[in-house]
Amino acid sequence: MAPHRKRRGVLTAVATLCALALTACSTGTPSSNGSSGGDSSGSGTVTVWHYFTDKKQISMLDQFKKMFEDSHPGTTVDNVYVPYDQINQKAVNAATSKTGPDIISMNGAEAATLILGGALAPLDDRLGAWKDKAQLPESTLHVLDGKTYALQGYVNLLALWYNEDMLNELGLKPPTTIDEMESAMAAAKAKGHSGITLTGLPNSQSEWQSHPWLTGEGFTYDNLDEAALTKVLTRVHKWAQEGWLSPEATTWDQTVPFQVWAAGDTLFAENGNWRMGTAKSDAKFKYGVTTLPVGSKGRVYLGGEAQGVGAFSKNPDLAWEYLTSTYLSPEGELAAAKTVGSLPARLDTASDSSIASDPLLVPFAQSVAKLGDPYPSSSIPPTAVNDVFVAMGQAWSSAISGQTSPEDAAATALATVKEAIGKK
Amino acid sequence: MTTMTQAPPTAGADVRRFVATPVRPSSPVGGTQRRKRLDPARGGRRARMLFLLPAGLFLAVFSIYPLIQLCRMAVSDVTPATLGAAWKLVGFANVVKGWVSGATPQAIIRTLIFVVIVTILGMGIGFAGAVALRTKGRWSSILLALMVFVWALPPVVNGSVWKFLLGENGLFNGIIMGLHLADRPVPFLFDPSVALISVALVNSFAVIPFNALVYRAAMMNIDPEVFEAAQIDGANRWQEVRHILSPMARPTSLVLLVLTLVYGFRSFDYIYVMTAGGPGTATNTLPFLGYMQAFVRYDYGLGAATSVLTLLGVLVLAVVYTRSIRKEEGE
Repeated sequence: MAPHRKRRGVLTAVATLCALALTACSTGTPSSNGSSGGDSSGSGTVTVWHYFTDKKQISMLDQFKKMFEDSHPGTTVDNVYVPYDQINQKAVNAATSKTGPDIISMNGAEAATLILGGALAPLDDRLGAWKDKAQLPESTLHVLDGKTYALQGYVNLLALWYNEDMLNELGLKPPTTIDEMESAMAAAKAKGHSGITLTGLPNSQSEWQSHPWLTGEGFTYDNLDEAALTKVLTRVHKWAQEGWLSPEATTWDQTVPFQVWAAGDTLFAENGNWRMGTAKSDAKFKYGVTTLPVGSKGRVYLGGEAQGVGAFSKNPDLAWEYLTSTYLSPEGELAAAKTVGSLPARLDTASDSSIASDPLLVPFAQSVAKLGDPYPSSSIPPTAVNDVFVAMGQAWSSAISGQTSPEDAAATALATVKEAIGKK
Repeated sequence: MTTMTQAPPTAGADVRRFVATPVRPSSPVGGTQRRKRLDPARGGRRARMLFLLPAGLFLAVFSIYPLIQLCRMAVSDVTPATLGAAWKLVGFANVVKGWVSGATPQAIIRTLIFVVIVTILGMGIGFAGAVALRTKGRWSSILLALMVFVWALPPVVNGSVWKFLLGENGLFNGIIMGLHLADRPVPFLFDPSVALISVALVNSFAVIPFNALVYRAAMMNIDPEVFEAAQIDGANRWQEVRHILSPMARPTSLVLLVLTLVYGFRSFDYIYVMTAGGPGTATNTLPFLGYMQAFVRYDYGLGAATSVLTLLGVLVLAVVYTRSIRKEEGE
């Protein structure tokens, strides 16, 4: 009997420890790590995961929270910050253990990762029953295998910010061609200023910022033109060599270059409409925005955050109600435009007079019509998006820093891209 | 055969006391029964096992199980779509994929360079710091406090501060340009041939306080009479360091060497904060490459295969560490 007793004792100890561990894991109280439930009648908490660090974007979320809590008494919105490079992984991990937030605000280009990871719930039924469905253009829906999983309430895209005071000092006008732009950067450099700021971080942000220049030379994911890719990488390498672009850009995400430009000693910044609030508060000089001088073939991605309902939201009805009352409502989209500078996705709001009369938003709105490209390219299979983004980002970063020659950087990137998207 | 002649020991009692007294054997059946209940060696073992149980369980749940999963993942095709489902076995395809792409061999070379820099500087300056801290006084106390502060700083904070200090317009370049030591800022973090060295230097800076504190503890244990005898014999400070401190700190050096190698080998956080693996791929060491593959490209199988390579390196060093600890205890 003794051995049995001993074994039983050990098992009891193991069971007790496991029970304690499990008890410690589930506190039973609402947690910022996941959906906190509530009933579907309108009360409860909506947990929103986001990766915003810009103070204006956080202000937009606070406005959405107030809008929803005021119009839905008894509800609480819990905005939870998750770093950009962790949010997808965290959501996929949560989904494997059948938990997660009510709403995920993600980079629209990476929605496929979350969909494939089972972190998002299909929205077709809700979308079908929504009275304003016709207001959302097809391009703002994130669809996989015929099902819609996420939507965009606004569009973000790139344009060329310029320091108007500096242009005047140099006796120049905003550039309309790449040659004019390079001449202006050279003139700025000669006067002791910098030419341009952009990101050179070896990740998806560089892929996003290199896209206009690449497409301008004819490189697309349908046409993997190595000569065009090499030409663009050679050009950006030259910008760094000439001192027009700081090679330190290889350590900057998209936020830092704009702050550097807003400090006032750089002529141009390749950056987005979502920096409008930051420009108004930080730039102590006259500035303006123009479309990127990328010619007739050049394209800019129509990016921005997409929002989806978590696959394991305990209150998906309330989560959907939150989306349609904030991100997807005319009031919410106008608030985002006013606070951050985001372009409304709704057809009825995009034509609002407040958008058309804003001189800074007009070039972005024109870019949507003239240069807009879906993000990511539909030529990239959803499972290959991240591989392609990293390969192109590393090539861009290598070219700026001179780690490899533009030719080698192009060849290395193309090998990965071709393998990822299955093209020879 | 031995058995006990007094009450069984309580936990923590000296077990050897009870097993030392030989007595005559009792009847086969009854004796066996009694031995099973009262054998102090077994009782002591049982107590030890009971004490080991929580740590063993913790290790099993939080280390061994994840390691088994990591090894399984390394030989499987795992993506976000299959993470929660059954994993398809692909053998060594992930290792081959990483190797053929060139990413793994390049990362191994970078990791080795990184480890060599961190180890040489960490050990050398750590030892020198300990020699400086051995004497008591206000300055050594201030230096000691400073070292503890640096050691206690979270790597993310430390790395962010160094990123600013080493920036194009950071403090170091400010001094260099101010003193006209160079005609353009030094590209500490954005030149492919300098970035890896810069991050390794910062990593060394972070490990020096730990090494110095451990060395100092070892040096403080050296009998002061040894130094007095050396001084009577006319030894100067350098000779004290060479002929007393170095040999007497050798066992500590061995342990620290292995710990510093492991520290350098698994370094990730400073690279993540300061260069994100760039420029290009210039600071993609094995741990960072594994992170990129698993959590940026979402190829969990490939990332796991790279991580297993890192793990093997750390495992070899862990074995060396264990052996050196045993050897030191033996001495």
